Amino acid sequence: MRWATRFRLLAVLSALAGSAAWAATSSSAPVPANLVARDNPGDSGGAILLTWTPADSGSLPSDSIHIFRAEAPAFEWKQLAATTPSAGRYVDQTAAAGHVYRYELRSGGISAAVSEPASSRDNWFRNERANSLIATIIFLIAVLGSIAMARSGKPLFIRKIAGLNAVDEAIGRATETGKKVLYVPGIQSMDDIQTVASVSVLGHVARATARYGTDLDVANRDPLTFASARETVRSAYLAEGRPDLYREEMVNYVTYDQFAFVAAVSARMVRERPATIFLIGHFFAESLILAETGQSVGAIQIAGQADPTQLPFFVATCDYTLIGEELFAASAYLSREPVLLGSIRGQDIFKALCLIVGIVGIVMASFGNNWVAQVLLTR
Amino acid sequence: MSFDFGRVALFIFFFVVPVIGIALGLRSPAMRSRIPIITAFIAGMIPILSLYIPKGFLSGPQGMSPRLDRWLIIVAGFALLLGIVNVVQNNSRRIARRDAGWAFSVVLLAGLLVTGSLGIWGAVSGEGIGFRADGSTTPFKWIEDRFFQPLQSTIFSLLAFFMASAAFRAFRARNTEATILLVAAGLVMAGRVPLFELLAAPFPALQPSAASVSLFLGGLTEWIMNIPNGAAQSGIIIGDALGAASMAIRVILGIERGYLGLGAGE
Amino acid sequence: MAKRPSAMDRFLEWTLNLDRRWIYLLVAVSVITPIVVPIGLPVTTTSSTRSAFEFVETLKPGDVAWLSFDYGPSSAPENDPMAEAFLRQCFLKKVRVVVIALYPLGGLGLANNVLAKITAEFPNLVYGEDYVNLGYKDGAAAVMRRLGDNIADAFPTDVNGRPIGEFPILRGIHDIKQVKVVFTAATGLIGEYWITQVHAQFGTPVIIGPTAVSAPKYYAFLNAGQLVGMLGGMKGAAEYEKLLRAKYPELDRFYGGTRLFTATKGMDGQTVLHTVILLLILLGNIAYLRSRARRRVTDVGGGRGPAGTRP
Repeated sequence: MRWATRFRLLAVLSALAGSAAWAATSSSAPVPANLVARDNPGDSGGAILLTWTPADSGSLPSDSIHIFRAEAPAFEWKQLAATTPSAGRYVDQTAAAGHVYRYELRSGGISAAVSEPASSRDNWFRNERANSLIATIIFLIAVLGSIAMARSGKPLFIRKIAGLNAVDEAIGRATETGKKVLYVPGIQSMDDIQTVASVSVLGHVARATARYGTDLDVANRDPLTFASARETVRSAYLAEGRPDLYREEMVNYVTYDQFAFVAAVSARMVRERPATIFLIGHFFAESLILAETGQSVGAIQIAGQADPTQLPFFVATCDYTLIGEELFAASAYLSREPVLLGSIRGQDIFKALCLIVGIVGIVMASFGNNWVAQVLLTR
Repeated sequence: MSFDFGRVALFIFFFVVPVIGIALGLRSPAMRSRIPIITAFIAGMIPILSLYIPKGFLSGPQGMSPRLDRWLIIVAGFALLLGIVNVVQNNSRRIARRDAGWAFSVVLLAGLLVTGSLGIWGAVSGEGIGFRADGSTTPFKWIEDRFFQPLQSTIFSLLAFFMASAAFRAFRARNTEATILLVAAGLVMAGRVPLFELLAAPFPALQPSAASVSLFLGGLTEWIMNIPNGAAQSGIIIGDALGAASMAIRVILGIERGYLGLGAGE
Repeated sequence: MAKRPSAMDRFLEWTLNLDRRWIYLLVAVSVITPIVVPIGLPVTTTSSTRSAFEFVETLKPGDVAWLSFDYGPSSAPENDPMAEAFLRQCFLKKVRVVVIALYPLGGLGLANNVLAKITAEFPNLVYGEDYVNLGYKDGAAAVMRRLGDNIADAFPTDVNGRPIGEFPILRGIHDIKQVKVVFTAATGLIGEYWITQVHAQFGTPVIIGPTAVSAPKYYAFLNAGQLVGMLGGMKGAAEYEKLLRAKYPELDRFYGGTRLFTATKGMDGQTVLHTVILLLILLGNIAYLRSRARRRVTDVGGGRGPAGTRP
């Protein structure tokens, strides 16, 4: 009984002491002042930045300051968030653009500071992407500078790409055997840069087939690519002075469904047995079916894709494969136009810069300094 | 009426400018190739600018950049009509000339007609092309479930067979690189499945050892996928991104014209 | 005089020029046999799947998760089990799920089927409160950008045409930033867009369940911290099922029987197939190396290669 009484007395004393401590701390709680609300700079709107003079929080909990918001015209206060007096800033990410709000900081239920009305709006520059813009500008300088150097007549070196060297030989083989060249420009639309690169290569291939009088068959899965490929091939035959050899059926639309397309093209390979097959562009799961069927009919196959997913299948089944950026360099490589070669050089200069920055970043990170990673972080 | 700067700008860039260009081009052939290049420049710059300029007229939900995205879908829809016309023309020609396999062209055109009609009827009648309100399937969905899905799965499953024949032919120790490829592929294939448990299935006493070997191979496979593979993939992705950016700059600035069918100097 | 080839040499020569149709037959038998005669092989888990599972385990009741069906019928055997396992885990933890489909050809049909199947296992779930199906929208990347601003912009109604304002699950969820995790069961590029558009721009954690062929690419994103987990192909789905069964034994009734397809059962076929392919590759290499050695011996002995050319 005595122990129970002592325990009860201890509990009551602890509670009183706690309340006294709380009263003591709350009565001397630091009061944030000079609350300013304004549009959060460098974003697309929808955010208001609150700043106030930070005050020392001491041992106060992390939610001792409550932020209230009221919207015009009713201006009814509603709690938004809680933070510490020492934070000094808060970004309200839920402010609707163009709406007027007022903010209030309350400490212990008492209003400490009220802001002037503010509203969010979109700004002219997204601050968080400054690093990306600087990198883009450096890239542009590298590319345009190299193009200018190429225009001035300075010879530019580009390494050998076996797949592209074999293009003429492959078309020549089709000419000798009297069989056709089959070209598949990927299954994506013209908004995919790999398809644009492929249609550029198709232009070169079409000029070669026009020159040698070889039959060409371009099978398309996407309607926009079909329209673009048709114009490219027609122009190529005109430019070579062989419009008589151009036939409408050369560039044809098959179907939009991925696997129906590959079934139709595979059947075409088996029936018509082209001597040369180009699989250049953006492919997905159908890549192996096409390449393996082409291999089974004994065609010489040149494949190319930037996306790494399907590359292993092309490497395993095709005679030549353009890997990654070799696809984008193809039009420059085949045409040997100095201006295009210059852009390849510019891209390589930037890649070297990326390599150096990467190595510096890795070394610094190994010593616990993540500054490079923080600078490169893009939102 | 509020002034929608974005809409007006798009109208000027993609209607007024091309029309003026076409009119000028009728007199001067050199102008004809300029208009697509100018249009490509504008169409390329708008999304790039919207990346850095968060103003509503450019990158907001009704801004120029998202509007261009939506226009692409509409243009692709019209281009699909072009494609369908081409399919019908080619197959009709094949039937008329009784070329080899002309009967299959009849099947193709019949399928196109039937499925297309059912789809259009579904849209016009309001029933849609999925489930009806009472839970029954529309004719279009019936064709999709009974023909389209099984055929798609069948063609996709060909990959298993082709992968086996490609692996059998490609993974030969011809030279150093081919040997490395062979060993890595073998380790990953063995590490991804409980292969040794399968081989030791008739010998229960060997199961614990088989499990240990599988565990080791699994760890090795993870290492191969995370470290050498992860590094190589990262390198290719970075190279791709730079190559794509370089190609995009060439297209936007009109330096690259092969995709328009124009050659050097045109 | 050249030595007559032995029976072994003739067999190896035949192997070297093996007609691919024998390979196709072996593959068919390898895949069909475990379906007819289930083996029940064990599954070992990998760190990428474990981190995905553990991340979902940290979610609290009432949190909102996002499941996107970014695949079509062709990869359903790989991706369906992933989506099913994720839904089961969320519903057991009373995590609320928003379902969408971004894959144009068949994605919505699969979403409807999987959702119908799993919600039938949890009869107490209420549509609109515990889960909702917002249907399909075209233009994946553009949709994701709009989700970052306002979900109602991208999906103003659910799959049945009801305004999303009616659903309690979406009250308090204005945009994708308030969602605790996005799980994308994907084939092709759409899965990658969730990483480069949504996680990179809005910070929402992403778990990806790609097909096995795409999985190697995502290790780079996983190592860079842009993914909180990955289920690589059917193996990843089988690993997730194993983790799920270990944590929630009540799910054994779905994964233990032989009638329903699960990734764990599919792994039997994959294991047999891998074994057969590896044996074929081994045989092919033995044949190749033996024929190369024989050609060298013939050369040293003064013979010529085929058609008088050097081998």
